[in-house]
Amino acid sequence: MNHIRIGHFLAVIFIFCSYFLNAQVSLSGTVTDAASGETLIGTTIEVLDWSTGTLTNEYGFYTLSGPSVENATIIVSYIGYKTYSIKLNLSKNERLDVKLNPDSEQLEEVVVTANSYKDRINSTEMSTTSVTPLEAKKIPALLGEVDIIKTLQLKPGISSGSEGNSGIFVRGGNQDQNLIVLDEAVVYNASHLFGFFSVFNSDAIKDVKVYKGGFPSQYGGRLSSVIDVKLKEGNNQKFSGTGGIGLISSRLTLEGPIQKEKSSFIVSGRRTYVDLITNSINSANKNKENYNQIPAYHFYDLNTKINFELGKKDRLFLSGYFGRDAFAFSNGNFDFNFYWGNATGTARWNHIFNDKLFSNTTFTYSDYKYNINNKLTGFSFDLKSRIQDANIKSDFYYSPNSQHLIRAGFSATHHKFTVGRLQAGSDDGTIKFGSGLYPEGAELGLYAMDDYSFDQNLKINWGIRLSSFIHKDKTYFNFEPRAGAKYSLNENLSLKASYAKMVQYIHLISNSGVTLPTDIWYPSTQNVAPEISHQVAAGYNYILGDGYLLGHEFYYKWLKNQIDFKDNARLFANNNIEEEFAFGDGYSYGTEIELEKNTGKLTGWIGYTLALVKRGNFPNIMSGRYFSPRYDRRHNLTVVAMYQLTKKWNLSATFVYGSGDLTWLPIGKFSFQDVDGTQINFITPSYGDRNSFRMPSYNRLDVGFVRTFKHRWGESDLTFSAYNVYNRRNVYFYYTDIEFKDVTQGGVTIKVPSKVALKQVSLFPIIPSITWNFKF
Amino acid sequence: MLKKLSILLIGSIIGFSSCNLEKDVNVELPPYESQKILECYLEPGKPFRALLTKSSPYFSELDFSDLTRILASILEDSAKVQIKFGNQTVVLTNTLSLDQINEKVYNYSSTELVPADYTSEFELEIILQDGKTITSRTKISAPVAIDSVKIEFNQERKARALTYISDNSSTKDYYRRMLNLNSLKDSIPEQDFLADDQILQGSTKLVFGSGFQFEKNDTLYNTILHINKDYFDFLSSVKNAVSNNGNPFGQPGVIYSNLQGTTNALGIFTGFLMVRDTSYVR
Repeated sequence: MNHIRIGHFLAVIFIFCSYFLNAQVSLSGTVTDAASGETLIGTTIEVLDWSTGTLTNEYGFYTLSGPSVENATIIVSYIGYKTYSIKLNLSKNERLDVKLNPDSEQLEEVVVTANSYKDRINSTEMSTTSVTPLEAKKIPALLGEVDIIKTLQLKPGISSGSEGNSGIFVRGGNQDQNLIVLDEAVVYNASHLFGFFSVFNSDAIKDVKVYKGGFPSQYGGRLSSVIDVKLKEGNNQKFSGTGGIGLISSRLTLEGPIQKEKSSFIVSGRRTYVDLITNSINSANKNKENYNQIPAYHFYDLNTKINFELGKKDRLFLSGYFGRDAFAFSNGNFDFNFYWGNATGTARWNHIFNDKLFSNTTFTYSDYKYNINNKLTGFSFDLKSRIQDANIKSDFYYSPNSQHLIRAGFSATHHKFTVGRLQAGSDDGTIKFGSGLYPEGAELGLYAMDDYSFDQNLKINWGIRLSSFIHKDKTYFNFEPRAGAKYSLNENLSLKASYAKMVQYIHLISNSGVTLPTDIWYPSTQNVAPEISHQVAAGYNYILGDGYLLGHEFYYKWLKNQIDFKDNARLFANNNIEEEFAFGDGYSYGTEIELEKNTGKLTGWIGYTLALVKRGNFPNIMSGRYFSPRYDRRHNLTVVAMYQLTKKWNLSATFVYGSGDLTWLPIGKFSFQDVDGTQINFITPSYGDRNSFRMPSYNRLDVGFVRTFKHRWGESDLTFSAYNVYNRRNVYFYYTDIEFKDVTQGGVTIKVPSKVALKQVSLFPIIPSITWNFKF
Repeated sequence: MLKKLSILLIGSIIGFSSCNLEKDVNVELPPYESQKILECYLEPGKPFRALLTKSSPYFSELDFSDLTRILASILEDSAKVQIKFGNQTVVLTNTLSLDQINEKVYNYSSTELVPADYTSEFELEIILQDGKTITSRTKISAPVAIDSVKIEFNQERKARALTYISDNSSTKDYYRRMLNLNSLKDSIPEQDFLADDQILQGSTKLVFGSGFQFEKNDTLYNTILHINKDYFDFLSSVKNAVSNNGNPFGQPGVIYSNLQGTTNALGIFTGFLMVRDTSYVR
């Protein structure tokens, strides 16, 4: 069967190759920001005489083909930049590299988005959304910490976890079903401080794009979304810097040319300083009797990137990310350290073979680990888990004529896991115990796709991905067909539809429902089959005029081989961890509406999602019946508004409304006497069906003000924000509070419960914050 | 404008500091049907006895004004209870008995003692008043001796206890370890946890250690129970249900039970011999 599938795949590749024979005159090149040298993603390039256009790809490269034309008019446009036009003689293949000048007047007013409305109407792409750092910086943020992932959570179809959490749930998928890549390297745990902040420092980020469905063939390995984060390349024109001082962290980014217009660097760092305060308090009180030390906690990030133009046809990029969270506590007899974090590295080579063929070859390395180390007098305990990836991939872009844009490539990843490595014992070596699993796996992908324009109105994007996973002597193969189509009813309205099959070979071992550093990954094995999804989506985009775009989509997703965990699963220090897994399936469906405006003084969007997700058929969970996951929110409404009051003042507001999360409360209680030497527990909780209680709805309003200042040395701004302005007590969790009393009878006294009350805990009241940002 | 914003921020901070983020709430839980709860521990040398109770909706009020009312509200009486092993059948009569030493109550018991029989299978059969049944089977796990208990002091003259046992590396074994301070009566164990031997990595020595938390003249009761997997799973699920009740990062679970029969009963039928060492901190 696998041979037949490979045969089919090669046949499709052959069909693609046949297009190569149909050559015309081409125009190709790159588009960059004239001020910084940054490549611009999604810039529109139109050749009016060909009545066609295209967008720069994620590497800033474009290619167009058409019949020979003398004195052709070419227009290059990107929101926030002055439109560039030129007349060129296109009687032979031409290379045109364009440097666009920022339109300072516009930039004050608009939020730069990757694609203009027209491009989105004309593209086959659907179920995508993008966010830029500029957009994120204008939106009020918790504690003033600009967080691009939390900005994404305000988009339709993307749900957050519990309050303040940077976890993401897309169209009913689990957290581990999101592929998060930073400069093409996978980030396995994208959060700091137990999920309250994401690892992405917005000063170093150029662009974030999210695919919720209609996945292009180059992406694989996760079921529900792809979150593609691109780092800035560094200013190759002049040395510059940005930074900020906030309530909990400060950050600094420096960038500049190594050799003007040829090479550049960017270094960006961020660190929290709560530990500096707590360390000072601890030092001041160290001689006090009975003083309990405050644990020290901090996190930091470091992003670096350098790039070199090796000639007209080659460009090399080297980038890296290193981040750590560290929690420490010690006293005379006890020394506890807990740290976790990601490290990623990317080496990328762009090569232009000719006017029609462009390639991108990337080597990436990803490493996520956590380590808990505890030392008691004479004893130590060390628990760690880790996942390391080494990946090579190559992508080829080919545009044989104006109708086709072909992309093909491969990817190979070696995964190395350390699962729950526990080492504990006495210092003298007489006592030792431990556990740990060290599986490995190889994940392979081969893909091809074509974006084909039948005419001005009808465009299809079709492709296939052949994926494989090898673990010991078990090999999985999967064909993953992908398809999308766009039909324009007129220049302002297009209909779209897509289908995608996705396969996921590695899985997160977590049953907490929130992002925790101790969540670990596990491969598909003989007993653990890959997770599979099929998603169909249909919708339309409609330009309403006056800068408004209405997007509306419906989707349905089938989920197969879903992994959950048996009740009371032992996920730590368990060498038989597969015994704790439960396998089932699921489905989700819903509709998403977004009305957005990205020009003028008032910008922003209104998004509404109506969704449902169920999981079931797990033989060991609720006898196979279907249940809703915790974050099955029926309604989600977000309103984001940014208003340019004056050149110096920006106002913004965010309103969020969502159905309450589901929770699993005890429904019964019993008395548990236990054995001799213990006390009776009169209120032992007994749980019924999973997530059978819905908490009250969630709503919140945040507001922000930005005051900009001009200086001789550059610019600065003061950002004021208030989170949860009307101080809504949103439920974070419930717990039961039991009060006891003594009852004596016949000389026997026992403690019995006198009152059982359910308490609601909220996390964040109104939280004002202030941040000072600067740029030079 | 900046001055006004400063006033707003300071006002907000004052408001923030006076916030109360916790409050009592009333919720309507899904319907709940009462279950029969059984605890029956076969301990060699002790009488056959069992506690059969019933559960109630989580927020229902229990009359805890005195012991008689408490027992009346939770005990499930008028059932026929018998335990078979080998060729013998022991009938447990529905009589309230109080173990005053350990402060435990049983509503079904026999005067017959549980034999130190670690090979036979014991069968439980209960017929409730409504004719429905509860059944189960178990074996008594052979005891594992405490090899030694070592008391160590640190520089602050606080003591800890290290309790050593030997594990049989050829079998998969489960243990419950309890450490009580100064009294077994009316005492919540300082330590009470479950362990299995998969973490030993080939070693046959298993040690349970405490922190440096004990004072001179303390009495430490070290208890080791060699238990079967059913009891390990049951107790794990009870502890998990208790500890994750209200833990936003935790995941509760349903209680594991090794009871069968025609009624939806919950509980454990198991057997073990408690091995206890009493040590004095000196």
